Amino acid sequence: MIIAEQLRMTVYASLLAALTAAGAYLAIPIGPVPIVLQNFFVFLSGLLLGSRWGFASVSVYILVGACGLPIFSIGRGGIGHIMGPTGGYLIGFLPAVYIIGLISEKGGQRVIFDIIAMVCGALLVYAFGVPWLYKVLAGKGMTLQKALFVGMYPFVPGDILKIAVAVPVAKALRPVIRVPGSGFRIPS
Amino acid sequence: MHMNIIEIENLSHRFPDGTLGIDGINLTIQEGTFVVISGQNGSGKTTLLRHLNGLLLPDRGTVRLSGVSVSKDLVKARQIVGMVFQDSDSQIIGETVYDDVAFGPENLCLDRSEIKRRVYDALKAVGLTGLAEQRPHLLSGGEKRRLAIAGVLSMKPRVIVFDEPFSNLDYPGIRQLLEQVLSLHKAGRTIVVATHELEKVITHADHLVIMKDGTVVRDGLPDEMVKGVEAFGVREPYNSRPGMEIRSWLN
Amino acid sequence: MAELTAFRFRTGASLLHKLDVRFKLGFLVLISLAGLKAAPLALCVITFVLIAVIIDTRLPIKVILKELRYFLILLLFVFIARILTTPGSTLIQIMAVSVTREGIYDGSLVCWRLVIIITLGLLFVSTTRTSEIKAAVEWLLIPFPFFQGKRVATMMSLVMRFMPLILDQAKETADAQRARCVENRKNPLYRLRKFAIPVIRRIFESADKLAVAMEARCYSENRTDPWLSSGLKDWVALFVVICLCAMIILI
Ligand SMILES: Nc1ncnc2c1ncn2[C@@H]1O[C@H](COP(=O)(O)OP(=O)(O)OP(=O)(O)O)[C@@H](O)[C@H]1O
Ligand SMILES: [Mg+2]
Repeated sequence: MIIAEQLRMTVYASLLAALTAAGAYLAIPIGPVPIVLQNFFVFLSGLLLGSRWGFASVSVYILVGACGLPIFSIGRGGIGHIMGPTGGYLIGFLPAVYIIGLISEKGGQRVIFDIIAMVCGALLVYAFGVPWLYKVLAGKGMTLQKALFVGMYPFVPGDILKIAVAVPVAKALRPVIRVPGSGFRIPS
Repeated sequence: MHMNIIEIENLSHRFPDGTLGIDGINLTIQEGTFVVISGQNGSGKTTLLRHLNGLLLPDRGTVRLSGVSVSKDLVKARQIVGMVFQDSDSQIIGETVYDDVAFGPENLCLDRSEIKRRVYDALKAVGLTGLAEQRPHLLSGGEKRRLAIAGVLSMKPRVIVFDEPFSNLDYPGIRQLLEQVLSLHKAGRTIVVATHELEKVITHADHLVIMKDGTVVRDGLPDEMVKGVEAFGVREPYNSRPGMEIRSWLN
Repeated sequence: MAELTAFRFRTGASLLHKLDVRFKLGFLVLISLAGLKAAPLALCVITFVLIAVIIDTRLPIKVILKELRYFLILLLFVFIARILTTPGSTLIQIMAVSVTREGIYDGSLVCWRLVIIITLGLLFVSTTRTSEIKAAVEWLLIPFPFFQGKRVATMMSLVMRFMPLILDQAKETADAQRARCVENRKNPLYRLRKFAIPVIRRIFESADKLAVAMEARCYSENRTDPWLSSGLKDWVALFVVICLCAMIILI
């Protein structure tokens, strides 16, 4: 039944990659900056799938986008986008999801560890995204200060909200995903 | 012709949460027959069917396919027993009709030309040849069900198992599916249909099995048994009442 | 979602359809990278080449533009944002907001590049079957034993398969909740939670069914290799593309 388990994780990881892709389209119009659900699903991949499969999920997401499908932020895609100003956020998703998965696994999926994991993950995304933004646009009068103002601060409230939602969502979904001791459930 | 293709002996399965899905089932199915398994919701039909190709493994008892235990060789078992699930949407794997039908043969590591031949044969058998390049989620409900059948046919199974094949189909859809199933039967395949809608298939069946609470409560010839089925929560086919002959849905 | 329906394979017999997918993927990467910093003159060159290719592939431009209308609106926003935020010599002054010459120049350039990137992706996806893209990825990953190419390819096609399912499901749930006046609840936390949990749960359930269906059809990571072939025209095309990129960079 090992193969069955592997297959299930493969399907789930693909599903979360697809959710991340769909998340780039699902925007909730609250506040000055609409909340795009893309990184919410990256958080969730880490929490639900763990470090290894979470990493696989985000890699596949980036790979599909790199092949030209418009699944990065709102309708954009392609290798050029990864190299562009906002590409750092995409690359940052990779270490972020790994760390989130790792901390959450080590913490035994307890709420406090899940929160710590996601805060670390979110910070990691900015640690890649903001300097990248600054670097790519440095020739155009972009300062690090300004990069923080356009590339990080407006999104922080949304991230807090997403972390707050990801906790109960992960809690509700973990039992659906991992049925202890069985490789298989009859879906009813 | 009287070879037993499926032999089930004292089969029980308990789910991890403790529910007893099926309990002590004995059943033999002969090659080339048309078997209908009926019973009310939760009587264990799906659980039983999933043992035929090793999607579930027995806690007790054995299932043998032409003499060989299913758990010995799962890949072989899945090749012999093709399964068409109730929800055709969630069993479509490929992004085009062609890719979906090719999925099974690719897993068997057949070579490209053989795969192509099998896919086109299967699509022809279900009448979807013209839609090979179509995206499956744009197909109609009936077409999706036929695609699911094609996906199984391309693996050349000897037994085809249908779990609630008639759900969510309209009247023409049901008739078309029934014709499909009958033509597969005519071509020599063993057919197993699990359904609680007895009247749709009963005239064509050679063998009727009624389940209740995870056990087989009746097992025999359809004509002799239809009268008593309501005791087990299955609706008696309406035209099996006195003075009426049971008619096929196809006439 | 309309944006994604524009990005799908369309049958045809153009040059682009006939080229080897591995080369096309290479062209996509080369031109995107070269176009990143391209000057207006170079952008003109790329645009002319793309127009010629579009005419050759006979894409239904009108339909695609209609499907991409949201993207066009987005483009307009990007343009306006650029105009208003770039400092420089003022052209028009409306109250505190000034439209600058540099802003218009900068905005058009950014939008132009975006259009080119989208068009590249569109051309690639419209002329390449997903099974070919999968095959190319599998091929590219052969030198990296760390990644299992076949698994990655399977995952990519599953992503493509799940996308429409997710968006349909999300829309259905949103409609159902709107019908029950969820809009009266102002707390975004509550709404996001009540929205996300049922949607994701249902999608996971259907993913479960898919996994079972894949297992029933003998899913294995050891499957038939995809079919790829390259010829003289691919190498000629590669030469042309390299020349084009060199020109773009040098102008
Ligand atoms: N994964 C599972 N875990 C626990 N119990 C289960 C599971 N799957 C099925 N069951 C239980 O096993 C019994 C048999 O279910 P099964 O699905 O085989 O019935 P069925 O005859 O196919 O019903 P239906 O007509 O509704 O399809 C039911 O009581 C059901 O609740
Ligand atoms: Mg059932």
